[in-house]
Amino acid sequence: MRFWVNVLVISLLIVCIVFFVHTAFAVTYQEAADQVAEADQTLRNAFNGVLDAEKNGANVSALLPRLTEAGSALTWAEEALRIGNYSDAVNRAGTCKSLASSVAGDAVALKIDAVAASGNWWIMVLFSVAASVVFLGVLFFVWRWFRRGYLKKMLGIRPEVTS
Amino acid sequence: MLSLNSYKTIFMAVGLIGVVVCCVPTVMRLAPPVGGETFSELYALGPGHMAEGYPFNVSAGGSYMVYLGVGNHMGSSVYYEVDVKFRNSTESLPNATSGESSSLPALYRYRVFLGDGGVWEAPLNFSLLNVGFDGNVSSVGRLDVDGVVSDVNKIAMWDNETKGFYYQVFVELWRYNVTTRSIAFDSRFVSLWLNVTQSF
Repeated sequence: MRFWVNVLVISLLIVCIVFFVHTAFAVTYQEAADQVAEADQTLRNAFNGVLDAEKNGANVSALLPRLTEAGSALTWAEEALRIGNYSDAVNRAGTCKSLASSVAGDAVALKIDAVAASGNWWIMVLFSVAASVVFLGVLFFVWRWFRRGYLKKMLGIRPEVTS
Repeated sequence: MLSLNSYKTIFMAVGLIGVVVCCVPTVMRLAPPVGGETFSELYALGPGHMAEGYPFNVSAGGSYMVYLGVGNHMGSSVYYEVDVKFRNSTESLPNATSGESSSLPALYRYRVFLGDGGVWEAPLNFSLLNVGFDGNVSSVGRLDVDGVVSDVNKIAMWDNETKGFYYQVFVELWRYNVTTRSIAFDSRFVSLWLNVTQSF
């Protein structure tokens, strides 16, 4: 008798756990839709960041396939939302957001590097100007030396008298 | 022997050439890239990766495939959306001239991010489900696109001129506009006529 009471109690406990855990973690349509919308916005923001890095001269070619992967996750999240699989929609939206956020972070790092590289560009400009000035200066002194020698040589030439 | 003025000209020419040589690396980076016409391309190829052999006579449950491709020649990275849609011959197609997209819902959406000069290509697998025939009327209940099954519920009448029940799978290209921060129809689409036949 006691054995069967224990079995009954344990069975009821399992049923309660299954029921309440499912209720506690159930995802509503609105929650899933919000997550999908947020993932869409995160993806767009990440692309804006990538474009910003690109405009500053960064090579973003490695980031684009990752964005495409995030876009694919978003498509499947939308599909899961459409067919009523809300928890799957939330999971896939989360994957999209995670990928897009990671790309956005990398885009910022690439932009910083690109901006630093454009600082090197100013060094290159200064170097070009300095090299030109030095070259012209040296050429000027060579010219003066050459002209002095030329005039000296011309003045030293004796007129030749021919009959 | 050359005159002093001739030597002066030679020195000036050498000076000029020297300055140009010193500035070449800087000018190369300063000069904007040569710009051409900017555009995006959208194409569909048959199963043999050629512009032939497209699925035409299709039946319920059969699996069909074409390759979809997008090319970016916009001068910078672009975010594209490629929407797959389905219509019967009475529903309107997008209007490439006015830039108006079809009002039909997308049954499948690819999201593609491409750098300038980049090309994306993917197989588009589809099959027609819940196909029915009743005299001179046919219907397609559902469409499976790459594993995503959608209710389409389309009806087509028998076409006496071309002898068939015609439907169309078409694909629209949409592009993210950085200024408005929204996706807009890029006035490009490709379409595929399907003659739905009874499977035996």
